[in-house]
Amino acid sequence: MTQLPTHFESGQLSATSAARVTVVEPMARFSLRAGQGDVTAISEALDLALPTKIGQRTKAGATEAMCLGPDEWVIIAPDSEAVRLESACTAIYDQAPHSLTAISDREITVRIDGPRAADLLTLGCPRDLDAILPNEGRRTVFDGVTVVLWRDAEQEFRLDVWRSFAPHALSLLVTGCTELALE
Amino acid sequence: MTNFRVPGKGRVDQRRPVTFSFDDKEFTAAKGDTVASALLANGVHLMGRSFKYHRPRGPVAAGSEEPNALIGTRRGKGQFEPNTRATVQEVYKGLAATSQNKFPNLKFDIGEINDKAYMLLSAGFYYKTFMWPRSFWDKVYEPFIRAAAGLGVSPTEEDPDHYASRYLHTDVLVVGAGPAGLAAARSAAEAGLRVTLVDENSEAGGTLLSEPQALIEGAPAWDWLAAELAALTDLGVKIMTRTTAIGYYHQNMVGLCEKLTDYVATPEANIPRERMWRVRAGQVILAQGALEKPLVFDGNDRPGVMLAGSAQTYLNRYGVRVGDRAVVVTSHDSAYHAAFDLVESGTAIRAIVDTRAMPPEDLVSQARIRSILVLTGHTVTGTSGRLRVKSVRVNPVRDGWVGEARELLCDCVLMSGGWTPSLHLFSHTKGSLKWDAEQQTFLPDRMTEACLIAGAGRGLWGIEAALTDGAEMGAVAARELGKPIEAKRLTVEQDRTGTGESNTELPSDLSQGKARAFVDYQNDVTAKDLRLAVREGMRSIEHVKRYTTNGMATDQGKMSNINGLNIASDALGKPQPQVGLTTFRPPYTPTSFGAFAGYHRGDHFEATRKTPIDIWAEENGAAFEPVSQWRRAWYFPRAGETMDAAVQRECKATRESVGMFDASTLGKIEVTGPDAVEFMNRMYTNPWTKLQPGRARYGLLLGDDGFIRDDGVIGRLSQDRFHVTTTTGGAARVLNMMEDYLQTEWPDLKVWLTSTTEQWATIALNGPNARKVIEPFVEGLDISAEAFPHMSVAECTVAGFPARLFRISFTGELGFEINVPARHGLELWETLYAAGRPYDLCTYGTETMHVLRAEKGYIIVGQDTDGTVTPFDAGIGWAVGKAKPDFVGMRALKRPDLVADGRKQLVGLLTEDSTTKLEEGAQIVLDPAQPVPMKMVGHVTSSYHSVAAGRPIAMALIAGGHGRMGETVHIPMPDGVIRATVTSPVFYDPEGARLAI
Amino acid sequence: MLLIKCPYCDETLPELEFAYAGEAHITRPPTPAEASDEEWRDFLFIRSNVKGAHYERWRHVHGCGRFFNAVRDTVSDRFLVTYPAGGLRPAVDDVTGSSK
Repeated sequence: MTQLPTHFESGQLSATSAARVTVVEPMARFSLRAGQGDVTAISEALDLALPTKIGQRTKAGATEAMCLGPDEWVIIAPDSEAVRLESACTAIYDQAPHSLTAISDREITVRIDGPRAADLLTLGCPRDLDAILPNEGRRTVFDGVTVVLWRDAEQEFRLDVWRSFAPHALSLLVTGCTELALE
Repeated sequence: MTNFRVPGKGRVDQRRPVTFSFDDKEFTAAKGDTVASALLANGVHLMGRSFKYHRPRGPVAAGSEEPNALIGTRRGKGQFEPNTRATVQEVYKGLAATSQNKFPNLKFDIGEINDKAYMLLSAGFYYKTFMWPRSFWDKVYEPFIRAAAGLGVSPTEEDPDHYASRYLHTDVLVVGAGPAGLAAARSAAEAGLRVTLVDENSEAGGTLLSEPQALIEGAPAWDWLAAELAALTDLGVKIMTRTTAIGYYHQNMVGLCEKLTDYVATPEANIPRERMWRVRAGQVILAQGALEKPLVFDGNDRPGVMLAGSAQTYLNRYGVRVGDRAVVVTSHDSAYHAAFDLVESGTAIRAIVDTRAMPPEDLVSQARIRSILVLTGHTVTGTSGRLRVKSVRVNPVRDGWVGEARELLCDCVLMSGGWTPSLHLFSHTKGSLKWDAEQQTFLPDRMTEACLIAGAGRGLWGIEAALTDGAEMGAVAARELGKPIEAKRLTVEQDRTGTGESNTELPSDLSQGKARAFVDYQNDVTAKDLRLAVREGMRSIEHVKRYTTNGMATDQGKMSNINGLNIASDALGKPQPQVGLTTFRPPYTPTSFGAFAGYHRGDHFEATRKTPIDIWAEENGAAFEPVSQWRRAWYFPRAGETMDAAVQRECKATRESVGMFDASTLGKIEVTGPDAVEFMNRMYTNPWTKLQPGRARYGLLLGDDGFIRDDGVIGRLSQDRFHVTTTTGGAARVLNMMEDYLQTEWPDLKVWLTSTTEQWATIALNGPNARKVIEPFVEGLDISAEAFPHMSVAECTVAGFPARLFRISFTGELGFEINVPARHGLELWETLYAAGRPYDLCTYGTETMHVLRAEKGYIIVGQDTDGTVTPFDAGIGWAVGKAKPDFVGMRALKRPDLVADGRKQLVGLLTEDSTTKLEEGAQIVLDPAQPVPMKMVGHVTSSYHSVAAGRPIAMALIAGGHGRMGETVHIPMPDGVIRATVTSPVFYDPEGARLAI
Repeated sequence: MLLIKCPYCDETLPELEFAYAGEAHITRPPTPAEASDEEWRDFLFIRSNVKGAHYERWRHVHGCGRFFNAVRDTVSDRFLVTYPAGGLRPAVDDVTGSSK
């Protein structure tokens, strides 16, 4: 299998009749951690209703949040929103203690779409993807690598992969695009 | 050569000839043939030699249970596969197949001498024959056996094919696409479930492919099959052919191996050869049918002797007659139908020899109508013919007495010992079996999984019974999954059902001692071997199996297990259920290593993590070393430079001016929250309360057993926020351990942990000129020695990038570590590299880092510690907070064993000759004159040539080491004993003056 | 490959997302400094190694990240129940349905 390089420019990695894999432009990304009791206050401060069920997502404008664990969310936003989100959190920290940590550069994100996008993910993801509905997501595993999977539509996904694991995970996706197209 | 193809018959395309070779001879096949059916069509039965006796063998079956006709196939370099079943391998144009276990050739084989020496090679011969003289084993017996043994030849070249794998979730997985499986899939699919139907054959249909005479709902079987497959496809059923369910694992996980190219003449380059499917099913329906048993008689392995049902398959599915003159020997009704089909196609049936005294009257009269001689109450006592059966010897049996023999001339013998359900996958689940006395076979009993068995797999014979049962099981599965549906019933005309009796080896009038009545064809185990095993004291079927190797070949006893059991239970004088069946194990059929490995080979074997700066190192000729999953720059050799020379140059440049190092792999954890400092106090040995924001400290992490787990520099960014660094290999482990304590011991603490390892690229600059290199790029921070002393941390801007800047050192020189968001790491590295030119900035790798830190006596966790070293053992007791109420590992440090005298302690070692570099890992003794085995008191943990010290230096763990300063210890090596002096492990700048520049 | 129900995600998921984390209900003495050598030894090293219902910990490491408790039958390798960290230890009879 051809191994991808470490550096990913935004743009298409692979496109076949089965699926496309595209590295998306980096956005601001935060890990938010907070106790159950403080979720409402933080939601109000962020102007974004944080989902409380693991795998659920909410969106306000271009800012999106997904609940990854009982006290954990990932928030993505345009770069221009980053400062506002950080200030909003700082302002409410004493009242509702939490952790907001910038992880914009920790992961890179690819979009996977095309008629067999879901099948492509079965090359590495042991989950039953039918149980993840459009507009949901999960943290899960792909080919041994922890990933955050966003399902945007029946056949459209985003996958956040830690930077150093990306060549491994994305090589398999690229290989799969070719393999699936030949079926 | 005679052509045995029957025009117009079979599912192969006789108008499309395909050429292939077998043992370098060219043959013509029809499209759709297997190697076995094609060779049989050309009149060739001899396809291989047996494993132990090298007896000539031909196919005995027509499917994956085949034990004899094993061939090698080659497509190209590295694409050789041994032990492929000729009965399964589909012919494609240009296929090169070879026979196995023969020398010099298949028809004349020297190894056949083993057959004459069979008395020496009987059961347990390994344990008996070669025991004396003892010294002969290594030099004579074993080399001889190794050369002679083995099935096929392993390929030696790298396999150029690629292999794939996928996960699949399905509500119902149906294994076997015969009538039962088809009907089960139909029920489940009509209930609206996700259904997957798999079959190891090249096409779905199972028995229907061999029984075209049946009429299902009035339609000929093959027409019904085509319509049914179309209907299933329309219902969304995923139908997978050439796909073998190789193993049934916990909680309805079934492994499927799908063959994708082995039947194609010129496969597309990017198509994988095989794909492993890991299927998770809500319900599994096993519809694998039944396997026909051979009869056990002398010479039952001669080419031309085969199963009656298989002969019927060769005729009806492939349009091939297996001979011109057949004798049918049977204990079951089904062989009569094979005989009738063959007669219609022009094969003469010399006789039907039935072991039963009174076979069903209607079958006997149907045979008479066709002028076939039926010999009831007869036994078979031998066959003749060297490379092909020429005659069969049969005798009447009356009241247990074997009468006079008669010889029947023939060119094939079709045998049937009845049918046994295919229980392999069910057996993988550890489901229990029950003995069915009437059918003399084991049937599935108690399930351990959400599993159903349909059709012949549970002893129901005939197409209508299979269809009915399949439909019902499909409906049961649907009901279990909450989608109830009514099972449909189908009627079948011209169905063939039947009964039979079960036998041990058939009675004979000849000396049983000379009989070669095979039970396990592949491992050459005879009935005599099994009885011998019992006579020699084997009582458990498991012992009988291992002593004789019955059922232990690659066919997993598909044909031999029940016959073996019948004979063993007869010899033991116990009924079969008391003797029990041995366990079938996965895989169901031999599976390539490639299929198991899937994508995980070569570069993709596992993830190789690389830093954002790795590409620069690669372009600049770095040598790399793996550190956990990371690939790290090891050293940067110049043209023609050795590793030692490069490392010495890098060390010197760093100590004299400035060196730059990619430290991005260091683990980083952000610890945030009002209780952050309390959490740090509890996790790390050090006190954190008084550490001011903007300051950093060396942190030491123990396990609750008191042993060192990890270390790293920790900076306090603000009152509630720490930037923790860990070792490269420890990053995930440390975060896991912190989460464990936080979630389960101290869930009340308001603090959260986030891995930021990959958020930051980390560049370390060390050396007296380090500040001069970076100062021009730093904005928003005064980094002068006074304003930003050693062990400081601050957020600022470096070269325009937001940064966390540490002033810390792992080299003993003035040092800075710049963390910038990973995407900017490479650009910053290149900027600093250019800016460092006036100072002869030198990039260095992990080896130089190791030398520089060892010169300072800084430990590497995992190299100088091994999981049994306490902070006091390591000489860093200063890092342990004395006044803390608790931290992880504190209590254990007071355990008697951890404060006992004589613990191994970390010290420096200097070889007395000042030139010898010790081997890392070398053992240390106090008295080299003591007798062997010597008492070893410790070992060398780190050892390098040190430019700064002007000599080799080493660190070692030595019992009571801290009390041995100045003593001489000895390191025995193969070429002599090395003397070394115990010293402090700090070899350079012990006052730390260079850090304060 | 087993199926494991994560009590936090409320989903039954492949074992590949989880990591084993040792025996459950091993309590770290609340004031370690006061624990005897024997108590500390038991806390560190003494484990039950049962044949049958085994109380153990798992972490949903590739999912929600939480540690949780489980009772697994070490003979059949089946999970009898999973429950959150800190949850009360269920009685064997309640999870096996047996009354031996």
